[in-house]
Amino acid sequence: MFETARYEARRKIRGTLILTAGVGAYAGFIVWYFTVLEGVDYEDVFADLPPAMLEAFGIENLSTIEGFLGAQLFSFVWLLGLGLYFAYVAGGTVAGDIETGRIDLLVSLPVARSRLLVEKFAALFVPMLAVNVLGGPIIYVFVVAIGESIPASHLALTHLLSIPFFLVCGGIGLVFSVAANRATVAERGAVATVFVLYLVESVVGGADEYDWIQYLSPTQYYDPTPTLIDGSFDPIDSAILLVAFAGLILLSVAAFERRDL
Amino acid sequence: MVDDRITTADDRTDGDAPLVVDGLTKEFGSIVANDDVSFAVQEGEIFGFLGPNGAGKSTTIRLLLGLLRPTAGTARVLGADVRDEDALTAAKSRIGYLPSTLRFGEEVTGEAVLNYHGAIKGEARRAELLELFTPPIERPVREYSTGNERMLGLVQAFMHDPDLVIMDEPTSGLDPLKQERFNAFVRRERDRGTTIFFSSHVLSEVRRVCDRVGILRSGSLVELENVDTLLHRGGKHVRVHADDAALTGLTALDGIVDPERFAEGIQFVYVGDTNDLLRKLAAYDVRDVEIGEPAIEDVFAHYYGRNPELDDAHGEGGGETGAGPGSPSQDSDGGPGGV
Repeated sequence: MFETARYEARRKIRGTLILTAGVGAYAGFIVWYFTVLEGVDYEDVFADLPPAMLEAFGIENLSTIEGFLGAQLFSFVWLLGLGLYFAYVAGGTVAGDIETGRIDLLVSLPVARSRLLVEKFAALFVPMLAVNVLGGPIIYVFVVAIGESIPASHLALTHLLSIPFFLVCGGIGLVFSVAANRATVAERGAVATVFVLYLVESVVGGADEYDWIQYLSPTQYYDPTPTLIDGSFDPIDSAILLVAFAGLILLSVAAFERRDL
Repeated sequence: MVDDRITTADDRTDGDAPLVVDGLTKEFGSIVANDDVSFAVQEGEIFGFLGPNGAGKSTTIRLLLGLLRPTAGTARVLGADVRDEDALTAAKSRIGYLPSTLRFGEEVTGEAVLNYHGAIKGEARRAELLELFTPPIERPVREYSTGNERMLGLVQAFMHDPDLVIMDEPTSGLDPLKQERFNAFVRRERDRGTTIFFSSHVLSEVRRVCDRVGILRSGSLVELENVDTLLHRGGKHVRVHADDAALTGLTALDGIVDPERFAEGIQFVYVGDTNDLLRKLAAYDVRDVEIGEPAIEDVFAHYYGRNPELDDAHGEGGGETGAGPGSPSQDSDGGPGGV
């Protein structure tokens, strides 16, 4: 059972360690930078920015460590950087195998296509979990090290809620992966899609007439800053993400089962 | 012995044969890569699937493995219909497969690849096979030579002791010595009851090991024959360097097909008795002579007639091996499923 998931997960360990180390280092830099900026009056600095911009970058609470981390670390790295990363990596799930011909050997194994695809995707849980399970404590230790404090439960919740968001980004990548014949096409398509959705969500947030468009973007349903600050979140957001993820997986499996390899 | 096998094979019904191909057709857009191909491979025989590059051999093989969906017709592999994914998946634990393009994942070691395959389909004969074929399994696959990759491929194809082994151009990349070892191995496997189906565009290879041969040309099965007939029909490719008098004399010899003059020499396909040719050559002042296997394309041209239009269509993209992912749809971006 789960030989494919185990095998593929093992192949991801190296990349995962590098990713986690990179994110950890950036978190360290951001926490240190908070100490440098202490005492700056942000309301003053950003007073001229349009409200949409302030909202997009979560600038309202920069003077607290929670708000600062939310804006500088989670909004950039978790919401944008890692979202794009998982879309990218999932884009290569099978498109790379189809491109190189490795899919021949994989499909010759006595494993159904649907199962092969799901297990290969499941290997993405390695980086997804590692970046949160290792990243969370790293951030916490950094915060404590500069003499600040952050509620551990809020931090843990922010990390936990990122998982459904990452799954949807990965799901978008998976759809591209089963549709494309080349890894680069699938990877770029997935990254571009998630990025465009993020931009659209940020831009149309203010315009009433078209504000429904923002609900198409997965970034709409993960808002780390409020969760960090007061632990608030909307369970329906995570539910929507999980349902979308299930839909994307079903779509990918159906397409993968039908296509020529 | 070969003849006995063929007689018994033909007497049997195809219904319970390990491999039954029935009107198999695959079209990629306007290109017909397999056109109504039908044949059966009987239990315990080595069946050679012969054809020039671009004939559609890989397409047939990839249809048999369920990588491609047939446009029409079907095939049964160990009793499983290739259109029935569940049945075919179950049958795959008894099938060994060696694809033409071998890719394992570059950074993993050969050992990790075998562990993975072994965990899913079994590895009863792994140790025994690793003594025979010796890929450096402790090293990452990216460091492998083509020959080592082939050997790793052969180990994974046979290690679960399958009943049917399907191989796409198995000896490409093996040096002549390893090819011989491979031929002997395949014969031994046949003798222990394994059914072996492999494609090749090398006539001599098929001659040496196969019990029966199916010839695919431009997507259609041209003929099913036993190896003796093929051997008889094959002829020799001869290239002679000599003076003009000799060349003129040689052209008149019986059994010479398609003579072609070049500077200071002549080349032709010779279908007569080799000794006659040698005697004739001895009478002239010959500077150099090469006698060898004819190119398979020449054999086809001579015995089954040439059809350049058809050849061209399939030469361009008949689902043959070279392009990697097999189907022409993937060579051109606009193919089915393309983004």
